[in-house]
Amino acid sequence: MTRRDFLKSSSVATLSALAAGFPRQLLADSEEKITPTADTVIILWMAGGMAHTETFDPKRYTAFEPGLKPDQVLSTFPQIDTVVDNIKLTQGLENIARVMDRATLIRSYTAGDLGFILHSRHQYQWHTGYAPPQTVAAPHIGSVIARTLGPRNPAVPAFIDIGQRFDLGEGEELKAFHTAGFLGSEHGPFIISNPEEAAKSVRPPEGMSPSRFESRDAFYRKLISQSPIGQLGSDYQKESLLRSLDNAHRLLSSPAAKAFDLALEPKASYDKYNTGRFGLGCLLARRLTEAGARFIEVTSEYIPFQYWDTHENGHTRTVDLKKSIDAPIAQLVLDLEKRGLLNRTLIVLASEFSRDMLVEGKPDNKVKDQVVVPDVINELAVEIRVRHAGKNESRSLRLHGVASPAVAAP
Amino acid sequence: MMFRLATWFFFLSCSYPALAASLTPEQIAQLPPPAEHKIDFSKEIKPIFEASCIKCHGRGKDKGGLRIDTRETLLKGGDSGPVITLGKSADSLLVALVQGFDPDSVMPKKGSRLTPEQIGLLRAWIDQGAEWDPHVTFARLPPANLKPRLPEIPPGTKDENPIDRFLQPYFASHSFQAPPQVNDRVFARRVYLDVTGMLPPPNELEAFVSNKKANKRELLVRDLLANDRGYAENWLSFWNDLLRNDYKGTGYIDGGRKQITGWLYSALLTNMPFNQFVSELINPVTNSEGFTKGIVWRGVVNASQTPQMQAAQNISQVFMGVNLKCASCHDSFVNDFTLADSYGLAGIYADSPLEMVRCDKPTGKKADLKFIYPELGNISPDADKSTRLKQLAEIITKRDDGRLTRTLVNRIWQRVMGRGLVEPVDEMEKAAWNQDLLDWLAEDFASHNYGVKFLLQRILTSRAYQLPAVNLGEQTDQNYVFHGPAVRRLSAEQFRDALTSLTGIGYPSPLADVVSVEPEQKRFALAAHIFWIWNSTNAAEKATPGHVYFRKTVKLSVVPEEAAVVMTADNTFTFYVNGKLVGSGNDFKNGYLFDLRPFLKTGENTFIVDAVNNLAGNIPPTSAEPPRGSESPAGLLFYARLRHFDHGVQKTNDFGSDTSWVCSSTVQMPLKDPDSIRAETGWTNAIKLGDPGMIPWRVTKSYFSTRLASAYPGKIRAALVAADPLMTALGRPNREQVVTTRSSVATTLQALEMTNGETLADILKRGADNLLNDPRMAKKSLVPTVYERALGRKPTEPELQLAKNIVGNPAKPAGVEDLLWAVTMLPEFQLIY
Repeated sequence: MTRRDFLKSSSVATLSALAAGFPRQLLADSEEKITPTADTVIILWMAGGMAHTETFDPKRYTAFEPGLKPDQVLSTFPQIDTVVDNIKLTQGLENIARVMDRATLIRSYTAGDLGFILHSRHQYQWHTGYAPPQTVAAPHIGSVIARTLGPRNPAVPAFIDIGQRFDLGEGEELKAFHTAGFLGSEHGPFIISNPEEAAKSVRPPEGMSPSRFESRDAFYRKLISQSPIGQLGSDYQKESLLRSLDNAHRLLSSPAAKAFDLALEPKASYDKYNTGRFGLGCLLARRLTEAGARFIEVTSEYIPFQYWDTHENGHTRTVDLKKSIDAPIAQLVLDLEKRGLLNRTLIVLASEFSRDMLVEGKPDNKVKDQVVVPDVINELAVEIRVRHAGKNESRSLRLHGVASPAVAAP
Repeated sequence: MMFRLATWFFFLSCSYPALAASLTPEQIAQLPPPAEHKIDFSKEIKPIFEASCIKCHGRGKDKGGLRIDTRETLLKGGDSGPVITLGKSADSLLVALVQGFDPDSVMPKKGSRLTPEQIGLLRAWIDQGAEWDPHVTFARLPPANLKPRLPEIPPGTKDENPIDRFLQPYFASHSFQAPPQVNDRVFARRVYLDVTGMLPPPNELEAFVSNKKANKRELLVRDLLANDRGYAENWLSFWNDLLRNDYKGTGYIDGGRKQITGWLYSALLTNMPFNQFVSELINPVTNSEGFTKGIVWRGVVNASQTPQMQAAQNISQVFMGVNLKCASCHDSFVNDFTLADSYGLAGIYADSPLEMVRCDKPTGKKADLKFIYPELGNISPDADKSTRLKQLAEIITKRDDGRLTRTLVNRIWQRVMGRGLVEPVDEMEKAAWNQDLLDWLAEDFASHNYGVKFLLQRILTSRAYQLPAVNLGEQTDQNYVFHGPAVRRLSAEQFRDALTSLTGIGYPSPLADVVSVEPEQKRFALAAHIFWIWNSTNAAEKATPGHVYFRKTVKLSVVPEEAAVVMTADNTFTFYVNGKLVGSGNDFKNGYLFDLRPFLKTGENTFIVDAVNNLAGNIPPTSAEPPRGSESPAGLLFYARLRHFDHGVQKTNDFGSDTSWVCSSTVQMPLKDPDSIRAETGWTNAIKLGDPGMIPWRVTKSYFSTRLASAYPGKIRAALVAADPLMTALGRPNREQVVTTRSSVATTLQALEMTNGETLADILKRGADNLLNDPRMAKKSLVPTVYERALGRKPTEPELQLAKNIVGNPAKPAGVEDLLWAVTMLPEFQLIY
């Protein structure tokens, strides 16, 4: 039936309803309510623009040999099988390969074209849905979820952000989207820059014993009851102040606070996650999910030119980066599954855009001060002038850091 | 299929060629018959237009090129030609469209379809010649709150504040009997916070309370307003929010943003008349251009967020109190502003004409340059940019612009009363809850040289301001009735400054680059000689890379009330006093300002500077021998201002960098124990290189005075530093957008930060230390002192007992910390009653 046929055959009442701009009213009668299938979201944020060809989306592998043409270099890692037929990952992600049947790959994501390639702007867009600048402070998706659904466990902040420091690099630009924006600061992120110190954020201040914390609180409550202002009657300011302090106190004394303490994790399990700050962030995310968290983001951390933001030594660095994520992510999946939580937890791994080992900028588009890739690669280590380096500085760009059949490792 | 239906609601204007021709006989038969009576336009047609048509075809909008403002414009028709054929309703496009023969083009696009009865009325009206009552128009309404208006002040005595005279009939008509005014303590706390943003010092508060003068409240307001620095550093936060000004933030990373701090601070310090203030922002001088420059984002930016569009949005919001943001992408759905309005204003700031972009699609059209209220004046289309800016500034600040004044009056009223005369404060086309009062205050303000302090004096001396505070909630309820100021909350900066008043723990160094004015410079003129010094004679040209340690010992008979240092070094330095780290710096062009009060003691005080001369390429030296030819200029410049009052006479212990300092470069690096280097040998007198203004550094003594002047005698206010986690949690905004109101409702994240956050915990720890070691305070009076400073009163007997229990006897630091925490968490402390 065409649209016009439908309209011609519909009653005036239906047409009026349509014209009134409520297309959903038509659905209302026949509607199936959407039943949520997840209670918790964990974002595993590969900050810095992770190279997909070197990680989750391998292309043809070309081993190094002298005389190699750059345009033949697609992936610098060989492929490995996963437990799912026909899905391949790159060498270095063997653990994740073993849990691929609990996951799916979305290879069709395209980052917005924001003019130049700018990490913080693309990260802003990914996390808020809007390209900055905006006329209002756009909320982080964690805040949207925190406000819409609220916390799962009232003693665990609904939106927790793990692993990013804001006092270096592009901290100011990152702060711009780590906010609840116009939704109100009640729904802002609870920030834990270092997962190893997470316990501190939910404990009494440094040097204060639990008993002193309680007696301070008791003293405060007694003062409140004595306060002459109480005689002036109640007002929403006073109520919200007292209620918020109450919530904070409850959170800090709640059993849920133990979830933040990684030292309480049995050593064998802790060691499985302990590949570094990101791995421990995954452990913290698991513990928080068990305790009833709603939205958690664990980031590998964005600092210009560090971690996934590889402008040099891409291959070698990617080897280490994959080591830092492979075991912990797989363990996170398995642990949640063992605890019967995986089915109700949505884990999303993403990055703000991609890259490969040789091309800078957009394919077929020249970038200012672009790295000049030689026509033919004859040596394992190639001296290439790297963008962003100071004048007259050059850095070596190692293309293949591992042994290939033809050449021994340097 | 169903989801696609949504798309036709967003069809943009297009023509309807299929229906321009006449209807078929079958279609005509389907039309409702024309009504059979004589149509009354105002009673029967006007309501249809208002309900179903003017949203898109009236009030300045002209979808499809059709305006129905007047009979003439309606008859003219739109892009598809005439919509009415007089006398022949069945031939009229309007009738075919509202009947909806083509499902792809039905009128109205939004809202309910016309009923057959309504169509019948329209048909009859058209057939009868479409008569139109002459006074009816659907054109854009004249903007509210634009023209100045001076109402007569209602009867009262000459001495009575006019605000109260306007409120008297208001209260009467709302059957409100005003309760007695708040007592002196409540009033003082309120007015100190509103003017200078600080709690009343106990001695001043007691003096005020015991003062017997009948007009003491008026005098207090006057005295507080005369505290230029206190006023400026309180209201700086208000204006930083409004003018989107901050010391750190998005956009500075590549020069895409510019501060206006120096200009703003100076304007506040000197109480610059508001019309001049606005004029210098609209048509900027170098130091005020940051406001209209906006934030230039890297990469491709949406057309609605170019710097010119930002300027248009921000000028409209901040000074005119209206929202141009929606109209930056398309004609606004929430008010009457159009895309042409926003581009018309933005274009004034553009170097070349701006093409209008609607919903990310270029339209190929350029807007006529004009202000959003063209009735105030015109912009010459052919003028160059600097002339256009001058014209715009004149238009906005002219005496005839009653919106500029009302918007400002409303914002100030909202600040001190908790709710504006118009709410929301950025919807100034709405009516005030007392229109006469708003209009009169705006004129009063303008006719007194646009004096903001004058306006504050008016409001703060009214009886209305002195009424008991009222519980308001966050409503912008249209049924609001004014019964007095609302209960408010200390802002983030006020809370932080209150902690400083309570504990003495402020900030060591301002981040804000505030340029001081003449009188301040005189007050802070240097009283001792200062020279660039180093450990070699021609260091100003060639000094060896490495560390040089400088030491000066000073004996103090009392700990000075004013104790600040300005210093700099080429290339970097770290500064210690009595073994404790004070701070460091790495830019010789910057005079680093430090508050010394937490570090000084009576008796001998040792100042140590670890000054470093870098290797070539500004690389820090290593322990290796520096290579030949790596010498570069090096020097240290240092000034300490130490002042105290002895029987009302100011005493000076100032000193600067000179040859009385000793220096050593044979000390082990890095400096592990600053205290220990006193024992090291190899100290020689520092060598004088020259005056501050010498080459290559050229620092002026007045620059050093200026830096000193920017410190409130050793206590730097929260408004002058960047946001820390505590202030951010308490609502200090990220000033990436203009902020006109901060939310004051407490949140759990805030409470977490206050309950276990490091920032507050550290302040309380150092504060407790300060209080316990304050030689001027007897141990017994610690609890009463805390109450007096924090709450402006003595503790009650039960409070005293509870407090003494927690503090302990003898007083424990932890106990004092906990007392401080509990008192500062009290609603009585955090709220403004």
